Amino acid sequence: MSRALSWRAVVVWVLLAALPVLPFMSKFYLLLAFDALLFGAIAMSLDLLIGYTGLVSFGHAAFFGLGAYASAVLLERGIVSLWACLLFAVLVVGLYALVVSYFSTTRRGIYFALLTLIFAEVVYTFFRYTQTFGGSDGIQGVPPPRLVGGFAIDTPMRNYYLVLVYLGLAYLACRVLVTSHFGKVLVAIRENEDRARFLGYNVQRYKMAVCMISALLTGLGGALYPGRSAFATPDLMLWTVSGEFIIMVMIGGLGTLAGPVVGGAFFVLLQEKVSSYVDWYFIVIGLVLIFIVLFMPKGLLGIRELLGGRRWRATA
Amino acid sequence: MDYVVAILLPQLLHGLVFGAALGLLALGLTVIFGLLGVMNFAHGELYMLGAYAGIAVVGVTHSFWAALVVAPLAVGAIGAVTEVATLRPLYRREPLYGLILTFGLALVFREGVRQIWGGDMRRILPPFTGSTPLLGMTYPNYRLFLLVASSLLLLAIWLFFTKTRAGVLVRAAVQDAEMLDGLGVNVPRVFTLTFAGSAALAALAGLLLAPIFTVYPQMGVEMILLAFIVVILGGMGSMGGSVVAAVVIGLAQSLLTLWMNPQRVAIAIFAIMIVVLIVRPRGFFGREGVLE
Repeated sequence: MSRALSWRAVVVWVLLAALPVLPFMSKFYLLLAFDALLFGAIAMSLDLLIGYTGLVSFGHAAFFGLGAYASAVLLERGIVSLWACLLFAVLVVGLYALVVSYFSTTRRGIYFALLTLIFAEVVYTFFRYTQTFGGSDGIQGVPPPRLVGGFAIDTPMRNYYLVLVYLGLAYLACRVLVTSHFGKVLVAIRENEDRARFLGYNVQRYKMAVCMISALLTGLGGALYPGRSAFATPDLMLWTVSGEFIIMVMIGGLGTLAGPVVGGAFFVLLQEKVSSYVDWYFIVIGLVLIFIVLFMPKGLLGIRELLGGRRWRATA
Repeated sequence: MDYVVAILLPQLLHGLVFGAALGLLALGLTVIFGLLGVMNFAHGELYMLGAYAGIAVVGVTHSFWAALVVAPLAVGAIGAVTEVATLRPLYRREPLYGLILTFGLALVFREGVRQIWGGDMRRILPPFTGSTPLLGMTYPNYRLFLLVASSLLLLAIWLFFTKTRAGVLVRAAVQDAEMLDGLGVNVPRVFTLTFAGSAALAALAGLLLAPIFTVYPQMGVEMILLAFIVVILGGMGSMGGSVVAAVVIGLAQSLLTLWMNPQRVAIAIFAIMIVVLIVRPRGFFGREGVLE
């Protein structure tokens, strides 16, 4: 990583940290910023799979939704410790992800995508149609989680800083991961799986590991969601939501980590901005996606490349 | 015996009727996959467009039969334009981009329909009512018509692929598009026309099923998953496999409903799909090693 990049990174982080104290930041905008960063972080963890390993997961909504449900279930029952919520989310998402990644990683390409999709659809169907967890209404009106003692994360600003810390740690984890030897092997698998296998790497174990990491990061993000919205509903796990996650990664730029964060934030802001003017924003989002696939397959950060900037794809 | 006639037999026929229509949907999907390597996420929306185009035509002409002719043609034309404008530039790129592109197309179609017709549930009245005594029970005429129509269509498609030059060209393109190009065939045109045909088939399935189901903008979202399952089960790119798998899924779904609630049925079918993907991803009749 060059000095210039880290200097720029410092500016970005300082700006993000200073965001809530800006005069025009109302509660509404803070919650919007929360969503932007949360989905940015989730898109980034999905990028580990799509961009670095070449595995397109169409089931990330299930990891997100399970994390949200895990946390909402505890909060609803009066266990309001944030740490308990996160731990429980890790457990639940981890168990589910273990099963999904074990079976899905035996297949590649379109079969991997479809396996993850169908597994997620099983989870969706379960939560949507069994009344144990509120059926189609989900779990509504949960209290905010508490960090320590009586310190509740109950204001948009506290939520914002919580998600900022989560994004920071997740980014750090992903960055360390992709620059490590492990990350290099992932890229090798993406480029030529058979050759990576011939070199003696246990390809499936690497794929499983990166699936688990990506799923857990997404699940942790999901666990933060009820604190902001006070609910968890099955709609969070619909397969079209998984599709939206992929859109975020594509908008930002595959295999860049920072790109998908921008892509996720861009997606959230675009949806919010367009939907305040017209109610056909999905047409706009669909057209943006089509435009990006056709004309700038490297995503938003890929523009830099076209303009002669340095390559962001550090590991490629 | 009463159980068989009153419950089992109608359910079996329901499954067969649904399976045949599902076959029309899955067939287009599997041909496009074989041809372009793209899992078409917008296929469910073409199915949905068929039903809405039918509503539009019925609204003007008051004739279901006119709709049955016009709607697939209209959706086929939409399919052709879409293919030329968006999929053609992606021929040389990774299939992943095609998959994501069609996801975007699906969003546009779904929202477009919701804007034009609204999000309410709608119905198309069947062109005829009444029922026919059959094997000791009475069965609705429209469903019988649906079964016959779907079967005849499937037969016609089979004849198209085996007996006509155009059909052979499509199969040749599935096998080896580059070689076909080298032999002087206009391959992009084959792709476009095939995509249009697959869109028209999806539209036909949507319109034919509309009098039994309800019509709403999200109707394709659920059907496409089922169609994916059928395509995988039959073996990606295998047309005969798709038809067989469609009937199997149709029967499984309607028979399982006898013993389980619909949600459990959905989960059971997902489970079948997961097992097939893990144990035998090439499905019933797929070629070994294709994208496994």
